[in-house]
Parts: sequence; C-alpha cells; structure tokens
Amino acid sequence: MIRHPLAWGVWATAVLAAAFIDRNPYLQGLLLLVVVNAFLPYRGRRRVGTWKLALALALVPVLFSVALSRFGQHVLFTLPAIPIIGGRWTLDAVAFGASTGLALLLTVAVFAVVQTTVRSADVVAILPRPLYRAGTTVALALAFAPKTLAAFQSIREARQLRGQRTGWRSVPALLLPLLLTTLERALQYGESLDARGFGSGRRSRYRPLRWTAPDLLVLIASLAALVAIAVLPGVPYNPYLELVPRVPNPDQLLAVGLLAVPAVTASLSRMDHAPHHA
Amino acid sequence: MPLITLDAVSYRYPEADRPALSDVTTTVEPGEVILLRGASGSGKSTLLRCLNGLVPHSTGGQFRGRVVVCGLDTREHPPRQLGIHIGFVFQHPEAQFVLEDVEAELAFGLENLGLARPLMRKRVEEVIDQVGINPLRRRRIGTLSGGERQRVAIAAALAMHPDALVLDEPTSQLDPQAAEDVLQVVLRLVAELGMTTVIAEHRVERIAPFVDRIWTLDGGVLRDQPPRVALAEGGARPPVVDLALRAGWTPIPLGLRDARVHAQRLPADPTPRPSPPRGEGDFRDGSGPIICRVDGLDHRYDTVPAVQGVSLTLCRGQVVALMGRNGSGKTTLLRLVAGLMRPQRGTVTHEGIAAYVPQDADSLLFAPTVHEELRGQSAEVVAPFAAWLHRYPRDLSSGERQQLAIALMGTRADLLLLDEPTRGLDPQVKRALTAYLRTRADAGAGILVATHDVEWAARTADRVLLMADGEIYADGAPGSVLSDSLVFATQISKLVGGGWLLPEEVPL
Repeated sequence: MIRHPLAWGVWATAVLAAAFIDRNPYLQGLLLLVVVNAFLPYRGRRRVGTWKLALALALVPVLFSVALSRFGQHVLFTLPAIPIIGGRWTLDAVAFGASTGLALLLTVAVFAVVQTTVRSADVVAILPRPLYRAGTTVALALAFAPKTLAAFQSIREARQLRGQRTGWRSVPALLLPLLLTTLERALQYGESLDARGFGSGRRSRYRPLRWTAPDLLVLIASLAALVAIAVLPGVPYNPYLELVPRVPNPDQLLAVGLLAVPAVTASLSRMDHAPHHA
Repeated sequence: MPLITLDAVSYRYPEADRPALSDVTTTVEPGEVILLRGASGSGKSTLLRCLNGLVPHSTGGQFRGRVVVCGLDTREHPPRQLGIHIGFVFQHPEAQFVLEDVEAELAFGLENLGLARPLMRKRVEEVIDQVGINPLRRRRIGTLSGGERQRVAIAAALAMHPDALVLDEPTSQLDPQAAEDVLQVVLRLVAELGMTTVIAEHRVERIAPFVDRIWTLDGGVLRDQPPRVALAEGGARPPVVDLALRAGWTPIPLGLRDARVHAQRLPADPTPRPSPPRGEGDFRDGSGPIICRVDGLDHRYDTVPAVQGVSLTLCRGQVVALMGRNGSGKTTLLRLVAGLMRPQRGTVTHEGIAAYVPQDADSLLFAPTVHEELRGQSAEVVAPFAAWLHRYPRDLSSGERQQLAIALMGTRADLLLLDEPTRGLDPQVKRALTAYLRTRADAGAGILVATHDVEWAARTADRVLLMADGEIYADGAPGSVLSDSLVFATQISKLVGGGWLLPEEVPL
C-alpha cells in the first residue's frame, strides 16, 4: 500500500490541478471515478459521512449560479424584475454551477483520500528538524478538527435535550460553549505534550519513513500527470464551460490514467494477498 | 532517600475561594504503591498534577511549599523535564494521544528525549511485552477500545523508563473486564519491576490488597495511613471490608483471597435471599404501569450492528440497570429510546417526557454560573447545590458536574435515561444518587441506567439487563443476574455466592 505523504501530496495536487484547469465534465467524471477507486481500498470500516457533506456542498454552486448568474444564451425562463433573482435563468449558468460543484466534490474527495491514507506520524517524520514543532502542531490541529465537530454536535444535542432552540439561529449561543470545550481540550493536549517531554531538547526519530516501490511509482506517475496537465496543457486554461463539451485530449486521458496508479497498485496488492487469505 | 517528597504543599487555583490542597506533607519511597482516594472535588487530580509539575506550571495559581521528585524541585523544573522521572497517565486517554498509530505513540516520548534509534526500538519492544499489547502495535488509536487505549497510554508512559508511574483514575470509563485488564497491567508492573506507583482509583476493591499506603484527601487535607487503618475509617473501600467490619473479622481482609479464610466461618448454608419488603404503590418488581415499550429494535453503524432485535418494556417505579462491556450497544439503545436517533427497524413508544443524560455531562452545562443553570428549577432541586451557586459549572469536579446535570434533566422527566452516571463519583455521592433515583422511581418515573458499576447497580437497581453485541442476553432481578455472571458479579457474590450481593445483606 502507498504510505509516503509526499507521494500522496503530489497525487492530490495533480488531481486538483486537473479538476480546476479544465472544467470538461467528461474529464471531471473520470477524475471522480479515479479518486473514488483510490479511496475504497483504504476506507476500511470508516463511515461515509464525508461524501454526504461533499454532495451537499456540490449543490450549493448550482443553486448560487443558476439564481444569481445571467451568463449565457440558452434561456430556461425569465423571472420578473425581483431584486437579486429576477431576470433570465440560463442553462449555461446551471452547467457552470454543476461544473463548479463537481470540482468542489472532487476537492472534498481528494482530501478524504489524503486524510485516510496519510498518517500524522509520517508527516512529522519527513519534516526537516526546524519545522518539527510547527509540524506537530499542525498534526495536532488536524486531529483536533473532527473532535471539534463532534463537540459541536454534542453541544447542539445537549441544547436539544434541555429543550432549547437548535436551528441555525442558535449557532451564536453554541459558539461560546464550543470555544470553552475546545480550549479545555487544547489545554489537556498541552499538558500531555509537556508531561511527555515535548520540546525538552534535540529530538530523534524512531523509524524514518522509507520510500517503497509503490510510493515511488505513484510519485513519478503523479509528477508526469502534473506536467501533462499544468506544464504542457493541450487546452488553454478556461474557467468557463462549453455547453456541448468536447472529448478530452489524449494527453488529458493519459494524465487521468497516470492518476489511477494508486487505485491500480492497491488492487494488485489485494490480488497478491488474496491467495494468502484463502 | 524518598523518591517523592511533598513538604507543606498548599495550592489554590486562580480565582478560587478556597485552597485545593492544604499543607500536604508526605513522602513516597522507591517501590511503594500508594492508593489515592477522596470525594469528588477533594483535590486528587490536583495532587497528582503536583507530582509532575503541571501544578503550578500549567495551571498558575498560588503554590506554597515544595515538591521534590528524584531530587528535582518541581518549582524550578518544568513538566517536560520532570516527565523523564514521572510517567503520567491521564483519566481520559484520548486527551493524551498525539499521533494516531500505537507504535508511533509509544515512541513519541522517546523521540522527545532524543534517544538513539536502537535504544528506542529496544524500549518499545520491552514495553509492548510488559503491557501485553503486541496485537495492537500496528493498530490506529481510533480503532482501539477504551481499555486498549488506557493500556497503550500506560505503555507510552512506561516506555520513558520513569522512576514512578502516576495514574489518575485510569479505569473510570471502563467496563469491569477492561478495568480488570488495565489494573492487572499495573499490578504486574508493581510485582515484576517494583515500579513506584501512585494511583487515584475509585474501584479500590481490586487494588487495595496490593497497596502499601493509602492517601485520603478530604477538602484538600491529606491523611497518609496504612491500608487497614484507612479502610476501617471509611471512604471508598472494598465491600469485603464492610462485611469484615460487620462480622468483626481481624485483621481486616483487603481482598477476596484474605476474606475467603474468614468467610468459612459464615453459615454453611445461608438462608435464601429474602425479597425486599413491598408496600402499597411500590412497583420495584415491575408490576407498575408500562411507561416505555421497545419492540424489535435494530440499528447499525454502516455495516456494524449496534442494537439487534431488542424488545423490552420499562415500568413506572422501577430502576433498571443496563450493563455490558464497552461497545456492546448500551449508549445506542439509550439514545434510540430517548428519540435522539431514529431506529432503522422496530419501534419505541413511551409516555410523558423522556430525559437523557449523556456520559459527558459537560455538554449539558453552558451557563456562566450554577445559579444560572438552575434558573427556573424548584427550591427542592436547587437546595443540594446551595454551596456552589456562584461557581462556574465547568470548574466543578467531574462528579459534581454529573450531579448537576442529572438534577437539571431529571426533575420533570417521566422516563429518565442515564448513561454512566456514577463515573467519577465517590461513595457518598453514589449513595445520594441512589436515593435520588429511588425517590424519582417512587414518584412514578421509569428509570433506565447504563452503568459499568456492578456494586452500585446491585445496590440501586430493581432489574438488570445484560447486553452484548447489540443484544440483551440476560434480564432479571439483580440477585439472579449479577450472581450468575463471572464478570458482572459483586465482590460479595464472588465471596459467599447464594445470591447475596451486598455486605449488609449477608446473614452472619
């Protein structure tokens, strides 16, 4: 399995570059397939709540674009002169919103893959010594994010249990207890770090992270994809969407193929291990 | 020469109106095992944090006297330097893990010390064997159970080769078997390595036979006594000690092994356990009107079943204890009954108002003072909290916060659902909780309590449900369910059998 944070970092950059440089829907669809297949082998028994959030997030640009943008010639209908939403509602705006939503979905999916595959210990291990403290702080902060979200839900539920308002209007009332909870936890982490000698002197490394063949393969393939997409693009950068999309160029298809290397490697690895489990 | 010296230590938290510790003077010799006990809010955690310098370096406040650890004065040396000498295990293990892999976590402290790689490897391997966590070494922390996490936390502290191990209620969140596993690890370290250990623990029955001295904190004042003297005086103590005091056994047995010698003198064939007297309107036997009906309940998280085919009825006037190991589905069942989650299959119906008090009572408290939290409550509810009214709720001890949350939620409820309400509570507060639940049940409420506390359940519950793998596999009176079980049995039941659960019940 691929483990090196640098390999995953370059892969994630290449996927995001591909998703945002050209908004071709065929290309975005293929990229989504690639990302989902890269995620599945590492998913284990994790919950898939992130995907629901990503899908909800993807709908937002569609709604905003169709309601606020008057771009395009393909008019769906025209609203009377109501402030903000009045005027022509176009198919072009729907398509542009959908494309932006898909790019956002891809972004969330890429970060889900990175969060699942990259271990904070590995990130800290590859950092240069001067960046060690900052790296540990970032690793802690990343570990903190889901706990903060859980604390928010717990406080929201507690208000519900006590018969208090829980809708969006209650958010300001939730922020103070959330802040207090977060600060208390941060202090606990601080105490733990202190009690375990953090920052007491020159630090050593228990197990330096080594490059494996799959790591190197993913790194090289992702770099090649990045070059094909960003450095030698067959199509110039164009943030606007063509209503009738063209078929992706061969170099774009090649780049998507290269980005599928993590999924292919994981599948081969599983096939290799399958007889042992039989 | 003592390993740890506390010399006239007094400490007051910033803005506190009374000291948390008052003139504490004692020593710990190398290899000694000290049990620290005391009521909720008596200063146990504060005292333990003095030993590695977190008090006052991390907390501020007024500190007087001195604590010397391995020749280092904690006022002059920060916790990161004292961490080499004192291995500290916190009450909530998740609050001390920095990385997400077990092996990386074990090595984290060693890396901070700048040790050479071969030495680190050797220490990690040693500690994995000592604590018996080899199957866990490649696991992610997030996938571990509560007991496994606490064992990893002990191993991480131990890997630094500390001179002493300090544990702050390491089993407070664990089921009996997981707590037993963790305490066995501690006792093995004591026996095999002669590890100097200071442990704050409410489950004294498991640890009492192995301690050299008992520190009892009362309002910040420390009494340092031999175990038999301390336990005879009162406070948290094993049920066999209560039985011994009743029966006049000397010397007082500290554990089951010592007690068995004396127990041979008990009547060979004790009379059958009598049913508790029942008055008019007393529905402890479940004959009261049904308040909640659960029918064919199923719930799963992704592919993992949490509750499977659970059907039960709860009656007014009855206190029901729901027990089972960590992860057996207790909390999910309570949340489903409370209506906080929608069951994927089956139905839950109940009468009146249902109130659920979660394990983490902190989330229920968000006002600036206890007085504000209790606004609108009757004088009867407010009265027990009169001394705390001006205090900030989160400054209360965990036991005090739990009491406040239960009072807030339980007053108007017809169906009261409590999740681990005795966590961190001292015996006196537990008794008060028992009395409170009894009063509520007698007033017609139905009560379902998820708990790991076997002794408290035996004293409080009219009915016990045992749950495993999302299913209820035993349901009955405490006398039958808790005496049949190997894991969920009281100490007295293990000693005398015959369905007797509590020391005061045993015929002499």
